[in-house]
Amino acid sequence: MANYFNTLPLREQLEQLGKCRFMDMSEFADGVEALKGKKMVVIGCGAQGLNQGLNLRDSGLDVSYALRPEAIAQKRQSWKNATENGFTVGTYEDLIPTADVVLNLTPDKQHSSVVEAVMPLMKEGACLSYSHGFNIVEEGMQIRDDLTVIMVAPKCPGSEVRAEYVRGFGVPTLIAVHEDNDPKGEGLALAKAYAVGTGGHKAGVLMSSFIAEVKSDLMGEQTILCGMLQTGSILCFDKMVEEGIDPGYASKLIQYGWETVTEALKYGGVTNMLDRLSNPAKIKAFDLAEELKQIMRPLYNKHQDDIMSGHFSKTMMEDWANDDKNLLQWRADTAETNFEKTPAGDVEISEQEYFDKGILMVAMVKAGVELAFETMTAAGIIAESAYYESLHETPLIANTIARKKLYEMNATISDTAEYGCYLYNHACVPLLADFIKGIKSDVIGKGLSVEDNGVDNARLIEVNTALRSHPVEAVGSVLRGHMADMKKIV
Amino acid sequence: MGSIRLDNILFNKVTVNFDDRFTLSEINWTIEPDQHWVITGTNGAGKSALAAVLAGVGEIENGTITGLPQNVGLVSFEAQAELIAKELKKDDADIMDVISLGTPVHEMIFDNCQDPELAQALVEKFGLSQLLDRAFRKLSTGETRKVMLIRALSSKPDVLILDEPFDGLDANTLTMLQKHLASIVDTTPMIMVLNRFDEMPDFITHIAYVDNGKLALTVDKKDENAFNELYQLLHLKTTDLSVPDADPANKLPALDPNQPLVRLKQATIKYGDTVIVDKLDWTIEQGQHWQLSGPNGSGKTGVLSLITGDHPQCYTNDIFVFGFQRGNGESIWQIKQFIGYVSTALQWEYRVSTSCKNVIISGFYDSIGMYSKSTDNQKKIADQWLALLGMEDRADHPFNKLSYGDQRLLLIARAMVKHPPLLILDEPCLGLDDMNRQLVLALIEKICEGKETTVLYVNHHAEDQIKGIENYLGLKKNN
Repeated sequence: MANYFNTLPLREQLEQLGKCRFMDMSEFADGVEALKGKKMVVIGCGAQGLNQGLNLRDSGLDVSYALRPEAIAQKRQSWKNATENGFTVGTYEDLIPTADVVLNLTPDKQHSSVVEAVMPLMKEGACLSYSHGFNIVEEGMQIRDDLTVIMVAPKCPGSEVRAEYVRGFGVPTLIAVHEDNDPKGEGLALAKAYAVGTGGHKAGVLMSSFIAEVKSDLMGEQTILCGMLQTGSILCFDKMVEEGIDPGYASKLIQYGWETVTEALKYGGVTNMLDRLSNPAKIKAFDLAEELKQIMRPLYNKHQDDIMSGHFSKTMMEDWANDDKNLLQWRADTAETNFEKTPAGDVEISEQEYFDKGILMVAMVKAGVELAFETMTAAGIIAESAYYESLHETPLIANTIARKKLYEMNATISDTAEYGCYLYNHACVPLLADFIKGIKSDVIGKGLSVEDNGVDNARLIEVNTALRSHPVEAVGSVLRGHMADMKKIV
Repeated sequence: MGSIRLDNILFNKVTVNFDDRFTLSEINWTIEPDQHWVITGTNGAGKSALAAVLAGVGEIENGTITGLPQNVGLVSFEAQAELIAKELKKDDADIMDVISLGTPVHEMIFDNCQDPELAQALVEKFGLSQLLDRAFRKLSTGETRKVMLIRALSSKPDVLILDEPFDGLDANTLTMLQKHLASIVDTTPMIMVLNRFDEMPDFITHIAYVDNGKLALTVDKKDENAFNELYQLLHLKTTDLSVPDADPANKLPALDPNQPLVRLKQATIKYGDTVIVDKLDWTIEQGQHWQLSGPNGSGKTGVLSLITGDHPQCYTNDIFVFGFQRGNGESIWQIKQFIGYVSTALQWEYRVSTSCKNVIISGFYDSIGMYSKSTDNQKKIADQWLALLGMEDRADHPFNKLSYGDQRLLLIARAMVKHPPLLILDEPCLGLDDMNRQLVLALIEKICEGKETTVLYVNHHAEDQIKGIENYLGLKKNN
């Protein structure tokens, strides 16, 4: 199979990358009608599979689960998930031939084998749905001409997809139709109905393309979302300990710090996150972020270039073929880092303290978000996509670190994201070695020691203007406006 | 402090009978000499009776009262009526064929007066100077009340008991009386019966809440939370406001009156091999209120969630709800629109930084938080609910900053706002203190006055009973 993206002429590559439109609520007036009475068979019953299925069923749709025979015979977790929740469970042979829509919600790594097994069983004119476009775009999977291929990708972990639905809301969702596989022209109607069935339409739906989704998703997760937070955690922790700060305190400041500072990001973008700092600290964070951006820009470019060229997916797939040797080794190494091994101390840290004493962390988030956004848009990805795959998802990943540090983050994200995260981390830690030598506890762990909070007016205006005029802030304020209600619930 | 040299008044498990008409039971109460109390409660709860006990009225059947002072100044409608009756009796008893004038006002005030100087001053202040020669029984109700007040105030009482002292007084007199009372707080402990909180003088230090012949609660006014809750409770118990109407724009689909609301056939919930609910048959007809009880782990909440559609196994059971046989393409929101639901779990899940008003409005949408624009009429209805709850001043307060009990009240209003055909109250008093428990029960009783809602009440506290529930389902714990 050839990398699908690379088979396209530049003109079409750019067109596909540039697809992203925030859909209007009125476009979902038909509700789940297009899927009513149709048989939806989900493959895979992990977090996304189970929770999307629960939502779809509660929206009045007919959902069952197709699992591999060994999962059924051995009563594996996926079998338990499906049966305890009262779903019909069967083998591919039992269920796929009856399916009008097959929802492939297995991990990326299994897509090729799953789709190859499923495709011959699917009935004429049925629909195959993905939550991630990797298989189509990077692996170049060719789907039977009579089948419709769509993507519906909720931009949150499966548990959130369910929790928000139960509250009467949903999570922001990206939908796409694979234009090469839309023989009846019903792909969009099916994708919209699916998004309504999971509740996504209430939180905002982006109409994108398989290509834009894959290329932006990979970029975001490798760099700012997972890579930057992992690198930042390790570097900041070791620096604080070196500066004589209590390891328990340092561990806690980082574990919960990302969540706290990115909460401000979620509400009001990079601007608001930096506005939470005192004026001298804000200028300090701004300067640090500028320095970080300069050092890290080549790395961000390399990640984006490798994603675009298919080099990233090629090396990762080689590792898949090699029994995940790299992935497993890197996962084991991460468990051995000092940050991971030092439990959070039993100390009280107020919400504001996370900002005041985590200036470097704020700077890292700013640098990472802006770099990822800038790199993506420079590569032809439209601003809306770039926003979702950088700034929007950062708080979600930060929450996983707050739960159980890097272990939880890497356990929650996909293997693809985890692989990319390690790649980034291994390049970024040495890259920042010199920078980090010059860091003292005033920007991480202790906070600035200043006589007063006085700053130079001209400099403050300069910094504020630069913050507020960054393109991620412009698109962010529009998209956050669409999701105004979102902020009330999380 | 001034010259108060009294002992504490101690009620120890006191039961008092009033001519077999009324009984106060099991009163435990301590009144310290430097405290000023208000006794409050709904009509007929026993407020005046409790005040009267302090003046020696009633027959103590059980328990002991110690420290009751000798000289009690008492003003009450009962005492006033008694005095007037005595005067009228004098007239009847007159055997001579002359018209009796009755006792003149000055005699009523100045005979046996302990403080004539004060009495004189009050006569002037209260505008009774012109009436001193008039017969007491010829006075108007307001005027006799003033005479009663002057007698009590000028008797140098050890304690003043004032039962609704402000009722029927004109504005000037009221202000004067309040000023006078404020001037004697250091020397005279006062116990007042008041129906209305807004009449409560600032010097009051404690509140006794009487309910159904019992001293249900005592509250130190310094405890702001408790004080506000008591205010709310009394408001709920005494308000003329009724449950606000439903929103005509949110009209629910009509239900077939010949169909039950809920019918479970052989309902079973199991996890792996563990059976939580085993083959339960249960039908809830419209208008048939039910109480569901059972020990922890007996599957109460599980059964409820089969009805509400929150339990995933509702799709593997034979469940008929609100005209839908479950699992035939209906959405969960089509089910939930017919149900109002309150539980502790809901309260835990309702972690939102939205306003109190929005919490009520979210009941129209069955959502946790608000994701749609509310209509003017929905806002109006929410305001009416807030008024009923006595929380109109907190309409825009963040819900998550409220006390636990207030949150519960709002969630009950949220459940009721659309007038659902079925209201499920899953242990609505769980985790609440006495005061909030009473508040919640008062609200529920108010709600149950309405006709269109069938109530399904779940609890395992026998004492929390709701009037009008006549059907019981008890679940046993399996295994």
